[in-house]
Amino acid sequence: MLRLDNVSVTFNAGTPNEVRALQNLSLFVEDGEFVTVIGSNGAGKSTLFNVVSGAVHADSGRIELDGEDITISPEYQRSHDIGRVFQDPRLGTCPGLTIRENLSLAAIHGRRAGFRRDVKKAEESWFIEQLERQRLGLEHRLDADVALLSGGQRQAITLVMATLAKPKLLLLDEHTAALDPNAAEQVISLTQELAEANDLSVVMITHSMQQACDLGDRVIMMNQGKIEFEISGEERENLTPADLIERFHSLGSGAELSDRQLLA
Amino acid sequence: MAVNSSAAEPQQARGSNILGDFFLRVIVLTIVIAAFMRFGNVNIGAIGQGLGYALAGVTVFLTFRVLGFVDLTVDGAFPIGGAVCAVLIFGGVRAEIAILAAFVAGALTGLATALIDILFKIEGLLASIIVITGAYTVTLHIMGGKSNVPLLGKETLISRHSRDFRNWLVEQFGDQMRRQSTNLLEIMIFGLVVIVVLVILYWFLRTEIGLAIRATGKNDQMVRATGLNHHLMIIIGLMVANGLTGLAGSMVVQQFGFADVSLGFGLIIRGLAAVIIGEVLLRPRTVGQLLIAAAAGMLVFDISRAWIFSALDLPTTDIQLVSALVVLAALGTPRLYDQWQSYRQRHN
Repeated sequence: MLRLDNVSVTFNAGTPNEVRALQNLSLFVEDGEFVTVIGSNGAGKSTLFNVVSGAVHADSGRIELDGEDITISPEYQRSHDIGRVFQDPRLGTCPGLTIRENLSLAAIHGRRAGFRRDVKKAEESWFIEQLERQRLGLEHRLDADVALLSGGQRQAITLVMATLAKPKLLLLDEHTAALDPNAAEQVISLTQELAEANDLSVVMITHSMQQACDLGDRVIMMNQGKIEFEISGEERENLTPADLIERFHSLGSGAELSDRQLLA
Repeated sequence: MAVNSSAAEPQQARGSNILGDFFLRVIVLTIVIAAFMRFGNVNIGAIGQGLGYALAGVTVFLTFRVLGFVDLTVDGAFPIGGAVCAVLIFGGVRAEIAILAAFVAGALTGLATALIDILFKIEGLLASIIVITGAYTVTLHIMGGKSNVPLLGKETLISRHSRDFRNWLVEQFGDQMRRQSTNLLEIMIFGLVVIVVLVILYWFLRTEIGLAIRATGKNDQMVRATGLNHHLMIIIGLMVANGLTGLAGSMVVQQFGFADVSLGFGLIIRGLAAVIIGEVLLRPRTVGQLLIAAAAGMLVFDISRAWIFSALDLPTTDIQLVSALVVLAALGTPRLYDQWQSYRQRHN
């Protein structure tokens, strides 16, 4: 599904502030696979997402999605096949527009915006069905301004929007980090439900060792722009947060865990 | 839904209610203005002039409010639209076609600003100043190197009907209407143009492209994540917006009976004032209400300015200073009011 070959990204190259955010990173994600990514701040996790989604372009290397070379294609074009949910709930939805308008916008996904009516009667039952699955009661508030919703509600809507047009790959960048525990749990179960229902490949950055152990098929640990280790198969099945933290510390200097990660 | 759910669900609570409130405010404002004009001795020509400029207010609403783009291009789009229209009418082209050409000319200035912003990553404020500066020369060239093109004796949208209308008016209401006939005709024709344009714009903003343009101004990251080209939305948005100002330029030129290279001077400030006046007085919520408020704001601005002129008996040379002061009042009053409110809260 997703293949990265020796991808490197350097910020501020040639200046004292040079940061080698990704160093010859290679990664392969299979069809329908759910991968979690952990790592300290500045390990390159978000850069990895940005280079896949096209927000940042690779200095060298090659990126393939579903067999297609997307290394230099612009961000909005890649978005046809890639759904994204960000850490900041405000980034995924559009304040000042209603839930219905936000979903309608997401439903344009994959084709050109034209002169058809923005909100379509025919889509309403589809939207309601999607929202009912979340059990948040938002299906009754289609005409509410998104700005009035809580972070968890906005994140849930972002998830629905990101999967509405059936992308091939879903990128989740600590999408529960800004939520309270209850909302985070709801969003996680919705994530799993949507990933399974749509048979999506998912890559999820997480700050929570518990999530990294509970969710998905494979854990990737990043450090200083490289993949430090991967855990999959049987080892992954029996993985506990304590194991992960121990593996983390065995990396020695450079791999610092924040308090937030240890507590989570 | 429970009766007391209004706090949790303000959107539902608005619904039909606000629609009524808005139109109530429009009616009250209309009555106040009518009374104001009657007793303040303001000539009804101010309404025609306000309608001529109204679409420039809508432009500023589209760029600043909808696209979130600080765009001063109107100062260049307006005289270019006016010049194109005047030159075409002077050359014997029908007024309707000249008006459409003015729209296109205005749209091209918007395109220039959008491209400078996108290609060179120069922010809108600077990009539009660059375009205004260049547009000045382009306008002069369109007018054949002269700074002024008169339309005396040419057939404009107004002059085409003015004699018939005057005769009809005098026949129906007597000779005292003769002096006002051109003003009334302007109000009718410009009013019709503004209404038609607002209806088309309302439809446009509620298409998929319109939705994407509205979203671009609020959260362009999301627009990209949705697979839409937000740069394209900025281009379309700025073109449509400044096209409207070109159109306004063509209307005002037909009203004045001449095109002038300096016609657009300070227009951006008046547009901003129009948007704020509309928002403060009418408190619009929906897309349609916001459009009406921006156009109405320009009307209120021009009428207020005309009233100051007649009340203080000022010469026309003072027009820009009076404009600046009215704009200052429109922008400053809501802020002063907010400051006063928070001052009171702190000291109570």
